[in-house]
Amino acid sequence: MNKELQRARGRQMVVFVFVCTGMLLLLGRLYYWQILNGPRLARLATDEHTHNLPLKAPRGLIFDVQGHLLATNVLRDDVYTQPRQFRIEYEHDDNAREKWAAMVHTLHQVLPYISESNLISAYDSDAWTLRVNRDPIEPEQSQQLRALSARLPDVFLQANPVRSYPGGDLAAQVLGYVDTTATGQYGIEGQYNTRLSGKDGSITAETDLNGHPLTVGASSGQAPVPGANINLTIDSTVQYVAQTALVETIKKLQAQSGSVVVLNARTGAVVAMAGAPSFDPNHYSDSATKNGCINSVSVYFNPTLYCTYEPGSTMKAVTMAAALDQGLITPDTSLVDNGTIYFHDADPVSNWNHAPYGVETMTQVLEHSANVGTAYVAHTILGPSRYYSYVERFGFGQKYGIDGPEAVGTYLTDKSNRWSVTDLTRQAFGQSISTSPFQMAMVYQAIANGGVMMQPYVVRSIDDNGHVTTTHAQVRHRVISLETAKKLSDMLVSAANFNKQATFPGYSVAVKTGTSTTQGQDADQTEASMAGFLPASNPQYVILVKIDRPSSTIAGGTAIFGGTAAAPLWKSIAEQLMWHYNVPSDMPTGA
Amino acid sequence: MNALKERVSAPIGAVSQPILAAKRRRQLHPFFFHMGPVALCITSVLLIGLMAVLYLSQVGQAVTSNQRIQQIQTEQDVLQRQDQDLTNIIAKEQSPSYIADKAKHMGLIPSDPKNVQVITVKNLLPMQNNEPTVQP
Repeated sequence: MNKELQRARGRQMVVFVFVCTGMLLLLGRLYYWQILNGPRLARLATDEHTHNLPLKAPRGLIFDVQGHLLATNVLRDDVYTQPRQFRIEYEHDDNAREKWAAMVHTLHQVLPYISESNLISAYDSDAWTLRVNRDPIEPEQSQQLRALSARLPDVFLQANPVRSYPGGDLAAQVLGYVDTTATGQYGIEGQYNTRLSGKDGSITAETDLNGHPLTVGASSGQAPVPGANINLTIDSTVQYVAQTALVETIKKLQAQSGSVVVLNARTGAVVAMAGAPSFDPNHYSDSATKNGCINSVSVYFNPTLYCTYEPGSTMKAVTMAAALDQGLITPDTSLVDNGTIYFHDADPVSNWNHAPYGVETMTQVLEHSANVGTAYVAHTILGPSRYYSYVERFGFGQKYGIDGPEAVGTYLTDKSNRWSVTDLTRQAFGQSISTSPFQMAMVYQAIANGGVMMQPYVVRSIDDNGHVTTTHAQVRHRVISLETAKKLSDMLVSAANFNKQATFPGYSVAVKTGTSTTQGQDADQTEASMAGFLPASNPQYVILVKIDRPSSTIAGGTAIFGGTAAAPLWKSIAEQLMWHYNVPSDMPTGA
Repeated sequence: MNALKERVSAPIGAVSQPILAAKRRRQLHPFFFHMGPVALCITSVLLIGLMAVLYLSQVGQAVTSNQRIQQIQTEQDVLQRQDQDLTNIIAKEQSPSYIADKAKHMGLIPSDPKNVQVITVKNLLPMQNNEPTVQP
């Protein structure tokens, strides 16, 4: 082999080695990118154009008993500006700040409640996006902003689902509200939040530049499950009647607060639950500092369930029921009432103004609303063991769990450490015992329903995407016998006819007034109430009204009692109720 | 003739070569078409081109459909929003407070319970309760 050939072969070998080395390097690099970093890079590439988009489940709607919407969902826009983006876009423009101010001025014309100066100063903000509005804007404002889009660079609208309550403050304390995190608070919204919320879904798909999912390419996901629709037993019309009448009464009597409960006497269904002061769940944050329940707790609580009070003389029906049911008295059992009764083991009890009624029957004890008679029945005839068993059976100190937060009320019994016989004699006429208006209404429901207490309910049915669960009237338990209930009803009718504070033509009513004072408060700081049912011969509806602290300066100080403050409201609601439901008159001769 | 002679007189081992060649040629004739390598290449290119065109047209159609779906979805969102707004407006206008306000604006006065007249019908018995009381 000559030298030339050897040199050529040597060059070939060098080239070959170079090529091999290059190939090896390329292979190594390929291994590095494809094998070692391959999955990570593939994931990054996928993430670049594949997105997981959440699909929000629509919140369930709430209807009243007539099928009218009480809570629904609407889409409302939030307004955002982009100060940083604006500065970048107008970096070389000397008038950038003026242009920003002009844009803010245009925004202010459409949204007058936003602070123009604050937004102008936001020009120097480092934020990429800045929310302009506090509450979602109205549809008309959205339209105006869209029309002005040319004059509003770097302003964009973002649609968000918002809970809407078309009735405004109608049944607000029954419904509750939905907060900014889409969580139900208080009332039905709070209690049934999980069922109303449904289940959010998601879709993972390749998206275009605007983030819209593409039909081309792989996609996977889970459809959202809409929230369940809830139908309530609340009747909007009766609720409105009760609510407006309550507000008017409170205004007229310069009272602090009040509540109304209307129940179906046969089924225990809640027809209306009203409280005042109330709030508008569409703008719930405006009432964050507002209090209800004699200014003691937040206005968001349902006062008929959450605000306890001493029921006063409406409790006398319970005392009478206990004694009648055990056969210890009859409506005609009599006693001598000297205005004050003395006990060897308890404090004396007096009637209002120490009024003596002489010989009076048990029916007359209710007619006169005599404390002496009821204290005598509880102390001398019943005794603690026979009395407290009935207090418990009537549901005092127990929760019903129908609609959000609920207070149980308290009372001492002979098994309590600090109990004394004075507690018993005072509880007989509604002092030294606290209860919620709803518990008291349920007492009268049991009497109206022949002694049978029903399980109260406010949710008529739940429609969970076609799977409907209906609430049927359910017996809770029998409290007193049918005979006792009839006797007691007649006694309450006598009390109503005797006082004529709540009677009206065409219907017989069975009612009892109540006036209580809170220990440590002045005697004129009362809670005036009335509870009863009608038509008395065929009870259809139970009504309880309570007015907290009516002013003693109205009507010469006479409008602070159950019979003067609460009775006109009770009567007004009762009349409207009879007309609204066309309840047949049980006194057609006007007798 | 000369060739035939040569073939006949050829040794046995040499006869197998043309058979192999024929076999190879047959391998170049897919689907029983007699096609030369150039024609095969052109056909393959054409087929691949056709497939590419088909694929691209499908992708194009999918993209068009996607745009249309997005348009429809946007329209659906708008309609859904309008539907929700209208439902809300109807519910508002059906609410008792709205009706009462409108009635007041129209000059109507709420009925006064005192104005209700109860008609006295002689010998009319009170309505009996036919509903049985719920028993525990």
